[in-house]
Amino acid sequence: MTRREKVLTYLEKCIINKPQGVTTSEISEAIGVLRPNVSKELNQLVREGRVKKINGRPVHYLMNPAAGKRETKVQQKPNIGFAGSAQIQDQRVKKKDTANKHEIDVFENMIGSRDSLKNQVEQAKAALLYPPHGLNTLIIGPTGSGKTYFAHKMYHFALNKKIISKKGFTTFNCADYAHNPQLLMSHLFGYVKGAFTGASADKDGLIQEADGGMLFLDEVHRLPPEGQEMIFYFMDHGTYSRLGETAKTHHADVRLVFATTEDPKSSLLQTFVRRIPVIIQLPDFNQRSAREKLKLLEQLLTLEANRIHKNIRLNEDVVQALLGSVTYGNIGQLKSNIQLVCAQGFLNSMHDKNEIALFFNRLPPDIKDGLSNLASDRKELGNLSRLLEATMVIKPDAERGVPDIDSYELPYNLYEIIGDKAALLKEEGLNQAAINNFIMTDINLHLKSFYRQGKLENTVGGLNEIVDQEVIDITKQIQQQLQEKENYPVRDNFIYAMSLHISSFIKRVQSGKPLRTISADLISMLHDYPSEIKIAERVKTLIEEHYRFPIPESEVYYMAILLVSLKSDPKTGKVGIVVAAHGNSTASSMVQVVTQLLSVNNIAAYDMPLEMSPKIALDGIAAQVKKIDQGSGVLLLVDMGSLSTFSSKLTEKTHVHVKTIDMVTTAMVLEAARKTALIDSDLETVYRELREFDGYSRTVEKVQKKKDNALKRSDQREKAIIAICSTGEGTARKIKDLLDKILIDNLIDDITVITVSLVKMNDQIAEIQQNYQIVAATGIVKPHVAVPFVSLENLLQGGGEHFVSLIEELNHDAAREADPLNHSQSLTKEMIQNYLGQYFTFINPAKIVNVLLDYCDFIQRRCRTKMSNAFKISLIMHMAGALERYLTRSEMSVDEKKLSHVRMGEMYPIIKQAGEILHQTLNIKLSENEVYYIVELFNTEKEKNDTQNN
Amino acid sequence: MTMDVRLLRIDSRLLHGQVTTNWAKAVKVNRILIVSDRVAQDRTRKTLIIQAAPPGISTNVITVEKMIRLYHDPRFDVLKPMILVEDPVDARRVVEGSGIKIDSINIGAISFDNTRVMVTDAIAVNAADVEAFKWFHDRGIKLDVRKVSNDSSKNLWKSLSEKGLVRSK
Repeated sequence: MTRREKVLTYLEKCIINKPQGVTTSEISEAIGVLRPNVSKELNQLVREGRVKKINGRPVHYLMNPAAGKRETKVQQKPNIGFAGSAQIQDQRVKKKDTANKHEIDVFENMIGSRDSLKNQVEQAKAALLYPPHGLNTLIIGPTGSGKTYFAHKMYHFALNKKIISKKGFTTFNCADYAHNPQLLMSHLFGYVKGAFTGASADKDGLIQEADGGMLFLDEVHRLPPEGQEMIFYFMDHGTYSRLGETAKTHHADVRLVFATTEDPKSSLLQTFVRRIPVIIQLPDFNQRSAREKLKLLEQLLTLEANRIHKNIRLNEDVVQALLGSVTYGNIGQLKSNIQLVCAQGFLNSMHDKNEIALFFNRLPPDIKDGLSNLASDRKELGNLSRLLEATMVIKPDAERGVPDIDSYELPYNLYEIIGDKAALLKEEGLNQAAINNFIMTDINLHLKSFYRQGKLENTVGGLNEIVDQEVIDITKQIQQQLQEKENYPVRDNFIYAMSLHISSFIKRVQSGKPLRTISADLISMLHDYPSEIKIAERVKTLIEEHYRFPIPESEVYYMAILLVSLKSDPKTGKVGIVVAAHGNSTASSMVQVVTQLLSVNNIAAYDMPLEMSPKIALDGIAAQVKKIDQGSGVLLLVDMGSLSTFSSKLTEKTHVHVKTIDMVTTAMVLEAARKTALIDSDLETVYRELREFDGYSRTVEKVQKKKDNALKRSDQREKAIIAICSTGEGTARKIKDLLDKILIDNLIDDITVITVSLVKMNDQIAEIQQNYQIVAATGIVKPHVAVPFVSLENLLQGGGEHFVSLIEELNHDAAREADPLNHSQSLTKEMIQNYLGQYFTFINPAKIVNVLLDYCDFIQRRCRTKMSNAFKISLIMHMAGALERYLTRSEMSVDEKKLSHVRMGEMYPIIKQAGEILHQTLNIKLSENEVYYIVELFNTEKEKNDTQNN
Repeated sequence: MTMDVRLLRIDSRLLHGQVTTNWAKAVKVNRILIVSDRVAQDRTRKTLIIQAAPPGISTNVITVEKMIRLYHDPRFDVLKPMILVEDPVDARRVVEGSGIKIDSINIGAISFDNTRVMVTDAIAVNAADVEAFKWFHDRGIKLDVRKVSNDSSKNLWKSLSEKGLVRSK
């Protein structure tokens, strides 16, 4: 029961025995909810008219007898306010309702409808008004450009013009079911009883639901071929069949609006572009005029002002930063960013009843960057500056900016959460600075977790390859239930771990395999976790309800242990830092400074008086390493090279992954603390980045590396990767298959994948270590082994690459340095000369290299693209080969057909012109055949870059 | 079933422009294997070579020993590789060690150096190379000289005999 429901239920009870009403304190005591929260719920309910407020001291509240019917109307209102008055709000809503009736052209107030969207609006109107039934429309535009918003406008236009008979805007995102065409089809078209397992009764689809209204199909390029065919048939004839029927006898009158981010030229869209008569292309945010951008910003800010019922005040530079912060996501991104800074502003201006102020210096760094992004485009900045005033104040205005339902709307009211938290913390006696700090972290988390959903879609895509969509769907349901009803905290990887587990035991049950027996130690272990057992039983019931077969009792235990592990495993901790330096207080004073500056807690010092013996130092450092390790390894900063050999000894002693850098300055320690304090940066990354910090010598570590490798080579044990799953059985096999595939794909044949069950993880790992050298781990939890760990999410998200590079590092002598070709012009030249000398016989490297570099520069200038160093070298080597073939009269042959084809390409004339350089300097004229191969070289490179960029 | 080796090619420069644009398309491979102990240790050359790989075809640099191991491992039977080696000696080590069945070996270019003599415009050989070529010839494996697949094929054995480096058989 939500807090709101609790309050309402209590008030209902009081109608009879306390007709004079009850006070906030009384309610608070009776239902066990903190007073400020009760008070807030009450204010809200009063505003909605469900509860009456009787002024006096103390104020009394009672149920409003006329309540209930107003619910739907109230929905439209921004449902929170700290300052605004209920009366005024009501009037505004009413005014809006009446205004709507007169205002027929809803496109009028859309930003850009007379400017950058003029054509689009006319297209849309024409499409809707076209007799007799209008034309179906495809909206194309990049992510966040407002396709859903535009479709909504089309719907309202159609409704006002009485083009559609029924209220109803049905939305369907084709990507949601793209992996399961049958499920998608059944959603869209409905099905008849018996069409597939589980189809126990006839069911209508969305098409029928949208009859007389409008159906919006988003991400339509993800619609599978079967779906396309049906939709096209429906477009042509107005009839369709449900799944399991042969005759297309059902009729529906539906306006179809499609949307996609795909390039209309792409093959995915070809059929749509051909079959859909009206195509509306929405512009990028950056194609919009400065005036429009500003208006969009104003409108989005008004939306937030409405939500918080306060004015929003912001300076010129904040406006510029916000506009500049839009890098890829268009209006959607702008909206998200505005939400973030308003949340921050709201928090900082909590005491001010009338307005919140946004200051540039308080903006999050990536939004601050927006200012410099914008500044790089002088013209745009100029246009904008002309329109800007020094300060801008946005007032709440219910007529503008009523939020539409779109994917950029948070599913909950962020400001309400902030208000609640702040009140709570204040009650706890925290000071304002601490409260702000705490809540800002929280806001970031909320927004991050929300916007990460986009990413999650992808990852669930990866999961989809090994688990049925149905299982993923039910797991999502379970996750939701646990969060909402049981108030059970669910971690990010819940979907992965749980769906894999469910999938494996369902397969097991279905295939009639014997059930897993429960070991006694498992049961005894679970006695300590009664709440997880309870939740597991809930989950079991949910699954039983869905699949309609009994789940064995033993699964409850396995599920419970899965829940325990998902819960207890702390989010991978920060990388620890130990500073060890000679001198009585050198290390500790440096650490003190850094701790104070950054308020971090992942750093420890070890002072070594000069007379201290290395043995004692090693033990002392080991103790510090153990103390500071949070499971992600420790970075050791030392002041003398001799200490840097400690890494492997320390790892041996402490079983903590240790990396050493032989440089200690306060700046270095600061940098290390800053980097490790960022969540998710692992030891290897921090280590690599810090080594590049200041460009100091790396020799010590290299020597060390060799020693490490000698150590590794002497290890006769076979290498293994461990994969950790709930049971180590069915699911684990799938992960093993996946890993095996990755390994084979990368030609790695000397590493075995071993699956490990969560239940006896530590014992099993110890056993494995007797025969194998564990080099990496993956799975649902991070084991306590000092090896790189790749989480299941990352692995499925295409982290296979990362995994392989980890393994390659293990296999090879040195850590992968930054791109070895990323060096200066003169070095490249030297290297080219070397190779020329090595591979060619007749040409003179020292003399030819400059000619060929000029040749490259010429082409580079003409194409206006920068060649990578690698490609430049490759091209020069090829050219040297061509020159030598010319000299020895042994040119390569080409098919005549291919030759004429190449002449049509854009590179051909450039290569011909570049050939003049060789003609002038060397008096050599390359044949058409050779020109062909040069052009092909460029084409291949281009193709490669294109595929990489997509 | 074993790995279907579509082409074994000797070229001092291993993977470069011509090979990229031409052979990979002509012989329809799903993998390019650069087999060279030297390059496997040389990060710069390795990077250069991998970057010259044609789009869509994975390319790996491996040692001779690993090539032999992979050939005998049924897990890698799905590969249809083009194998590139630097010189005939490595080619022989690969074929002899793995037992790959081939009826011809393609030779693109072998760079001249102080130990070698030129036998064609692009191929230079030393004693060890000649020894290796003999080994191939004795097993009925054709020594096919072509820079790109369109070129007309020349037999290296003929050139070697004409130079008096081998006795014609």
